Amino acid sequence: MLISLPFVSQFDDLPLTNIRDHDSVILPSLISLAAIATDASELVFEYQHEILSRIKSTIDSSRTIIRVPSEANPESISKLAETGAHGAAFSFNGQLGSQDYNAIDLRSHLPLFMMAFAVGRIEPGLIPLLHYTGFDIIDIGHAQESASNGLRLWKNGAEKIEIGKECRYCSCPSCTKLDIAKPEDLQGILLDHNLSIYRSIISESREAMSTGRLRWLVESSTHNSPAHASLVRLVNRELYTFIEEFSPTTGPDALPVIGSESYNAPVVRRFREYVASRYSVRDDKPIILLLPCSARKPYSDSKSHKRFNAVIESAMSGLESRVAQVILTSPLGLVPRELERIYPAGQYDIPVTGDWDTEEIKIGANALVTHLKKFSSRSVVIAHVSGGYLDIVRAAESEIEQSLIYTTPEDRATSRESLDALQESLIELKEILSISRGPRTELEEIVSATADYQFGPGAGKALVPEHAKLRGKPYKLILCSVDGEQVCSYVAENGILSLTLAGGRLLAPLNRYWVRLDVPKVKGGSIFAVGVQEADYLIRPGDEVIVVNGSAEVIAVGRSEMSGREMCELKRGRAVSVRHKKE
Amino acid sequence: MEGSLKRINEAVQKAALQARGHSLRMRRKRDPTRPSAKWVASARVGREQGTALAIVLSTIGCAHARSDSGGCTMCSYLLDGVQEPPTSDQIVAQFRFAMTALESNKAPLSVKIYTSGSFLDDEEIPSEARFEILKIIAEDERIREVVLESRPEYVNESILSGIRQVLGDRTVEIGMGLESASDVIRSVCINKNFDLQMFKDALKIAKNYNIGIRAYVLLKPPLLTERDALLDAISTVQQARALGVTTISLNPVTVQKDTLVEKLWIKGKYRPPWLWSILKVLREASSVSDKWMKIVCDPVAGGKRRGAHNCGKCDAAIMDAIRQFSLSQDPVVLKHLSCDCLSQWEHILKHEDFSLVVHR
Repeated sequence: MLISLPFVSQFDDLPLTNIRDHDSVILPSLISLAAIATDASELVFEYQHEILSRIKSTIDSSRTIIRVPSEANPESISKLAETGAHGAAFSFNGQLGSQDYNAIDLRSHLPLFMMAFAVGRIEPGLIPLLHYTGFDIIDIGHAQESASNGLRLWKNGAEKIEIGKECRYCSCPSCTKLDIAKPEDLQGILLDHNLSIYRSIISESREAMSTGRLRWLVESSTHNSPAHASLVRLVNRELYTFIEEFSPTTGPDALPVIGSESYNAPVVRRFREYVASRYSVRDDKPIILLLPCSARKPYSDSKSHKRFNAVIESAMSGLESRVAQVILTSPLGLVPRELERIYPAGQYDIPVTGDWDTEEIKIGANALVTHLKKFSSRSVVIAHVSGGYLDIVRAAESEIEQSLIYTTPEDRATSRESLDALQESLIELKEILSISRGPRTELEEIVSATADYQFGPGAGKALVPEHAKLRGKPYKLILCSVDGEQVCSYVAENGILSLTLAGGRLLAPLNRYWVRLDVPKVKGGSIFAVGVQEADYLIRPGDEVIVVNGSAEVIAVGRSEMSGREMCELKRGRAVSVRHKKE
Repeated sequence: MEGSLKRINEAVQKAALQARGHSLRMRRKRDPTRPSAKWVASARVGREQGTALAIVLSTIGCAHARSDSGGCTMCSYLLDGVQEPPTSDQIVAQFRFAMTALESNKAPLSVKIYTSGSFLDDEEIPSEARFEILKIIAEDERIREVVLESRPEYVNESILSGIRQVLGDRTVEIGMGLESASDVIRSVCINKNFDLQMFKDALKIAKNYNIGIRAYVLLKPPLLTERDALLDAISTVQQARALGVTTISLNPVTVQKDTLVEKLWIKGKYRPPWLWSILKVLREASSVSDKWMKIVCDPVAGGKRRGAHNCGKCDAAIMDAIRQFSLSQDPVVLKHLSCDCLSQWEHILKHEDFSLVVHR
């Protein structure tokens, strides 16, 4: 049970006798104390510290929860770990304004091992956002408040109920009694209904969490009200680093990316940033081909891309590897062909009417400019795009150093005329640029680009050195061996690399994505947070990680189940699922 | 008081002073020969129905409120006062002017002299003015009851013996703002700047001169939840009864200008008490009074946003009941009041404590 201690004027009056051993106790404070002066929230903490020291003989501090006023200073939240309390309660006034935003912001500073409680007036519609921002326990007292005001709550609003007047249909068992209710029964009926709304939204939110769709649920709640939309946008903008850290790098098979709220969703923005900072280009790419995205993912499985590929193959006849394919899309910006299957590029699902707004065009143009700067200025860019994609290229044009050829003047990219124009341009360029030889490098490029994306710059060179042997088919299974030993495999389903121990050893010198244990060897199939001594803060849930021991020897590789910081700070939970380990 | 509560007290004091701001120096100029306010109402005088005149003398105001200790967190009564201290003659003129309102009234009469401060403080009311006023009362046979107002530090043997001498056998009561029986709440939430012992001492001296004490009990100072405020008021009433006060005057907090309460209220961090809470305290008070102690309550701005209020639908009926009870002392008038918002109040009593989020 959760018990809240009242304010008492004498410490001896604290009602501690009724508290049982397994109860959690919220410490008392004075209401609104933090609002009397700018530094008064420190007094709220001071008072609670004093209470803590007074009651510690009866109640262990690990059972207590500290109240955090929304006026508090973020630094004082980081210091709460010292109190020994196991959680903190943040208060919401339900207006979705600055107080409620502050509560969420302060929560983002809470030491990771502490539980976060949301107390106060919390409407059902806010619950997905609270789950998303890491609140563990949520006060649903508003169910009763609304019932006592004659209000029936819904997922995104409330309805005034008066006996005898028409109201919305509801299938819940308590509402079936509404027609014949006496006035004195109304409140009980409304309370039952309201509680069931909370139950249903909490369960919806939990389900979304476990299927990787919580972000989508939060985004779709944006239109609950303007205030709600402002709060979601503020959280998106201001708390990006906090949320990104806990956003997995793998996800559901289909990731809905529907409105402007998605433009800077952590997985989306992270993808753009990784492509910009980690993707490197080879110098044997005289032609850069810009293509439109397709509704079907991955792109190369779509009809349109199959046609593009056919054109490229027939025009380049064996020299396809000299063409760098870049797919323009929103809101990911752009996707190099080699990365088309990686999350979220292989899974995102957008409305494909081709109408892009100014922000999307700006995102795309920025990504394109950054990307093309990595290529030689002597390369030639073919923009085989139309509509919104063309707008992106036009917006970027002044900052593009390479020569630019448009092959779809006023026509769809898949039309016969456009495809013919593409073919002609490729053939012409092949001659003009005298592209006549060069190895097929498709497999190397896929593995190397994926390695760079997953493990950062230099990873591709480490895992796929000149003498690496690659077997397999593009976008199926690719196995990469170095000196006769397999180092990694590329799995087309999710577009990422799985390491072997040998691969882990090749990557270890990069000093990234490592988890250090203080045992010589790994036992069992899981590594728990409690056993992790230190871990790279770059690690996100879902990443491929390299496990080392105290003498920096690679002892396992596996997939992370939490962020690097969580591995360091949490005392419980699975940190890594082991794939291979040293026997 | 020690540790963090002491530091909270200091912060509250500073905040109270700050909330007062420049308001003191901005006080309006007034005619020093006219009282700030006066009103006549029917009232219970002794065991009979009679008429009461209430006068608010215009003075320089409460010494505590004027001092560097910031004054009380909910009170800006001293803003009714004047910048320049009126002369004794001017103060007496204020009183005479107010008394004209009673010219046509019959006995028994009650006269209540308020000053937005302390009638017994020589600095506020020079002693010659005080005794001149008391003499005017003494000459009026219709007046059977006199209520004066003061902080306990000004209650002493010499002043009280003087009062008793002039007023003869009239019922005399001194109103003192006990506010809360808890020293912690009185200082931390109210910044009242005296302790329970001073109140007890004053009460003892008064008893020696057969002068009664009217204890002002505050309902819902800032920094308390509705429930804590309710419990504190009830416990204060019980303790005041045990100490032997003659009247309880229950004062629900009103949001007054330039106070800490107003500052919090504007931010949505304070709500004046519910009328339901007043009813609850009055019922409890009535049951402990044993018909011996008088209980009165006249919520300032009751039913309005800045005063004690309910949902708006039931406020008028409940205000009526409170007034009736103050007149008749009959607890039956407090029964059988109900409204849809009752359950809202009941929810708040529980949930505000759990969440510490102000429920408006």
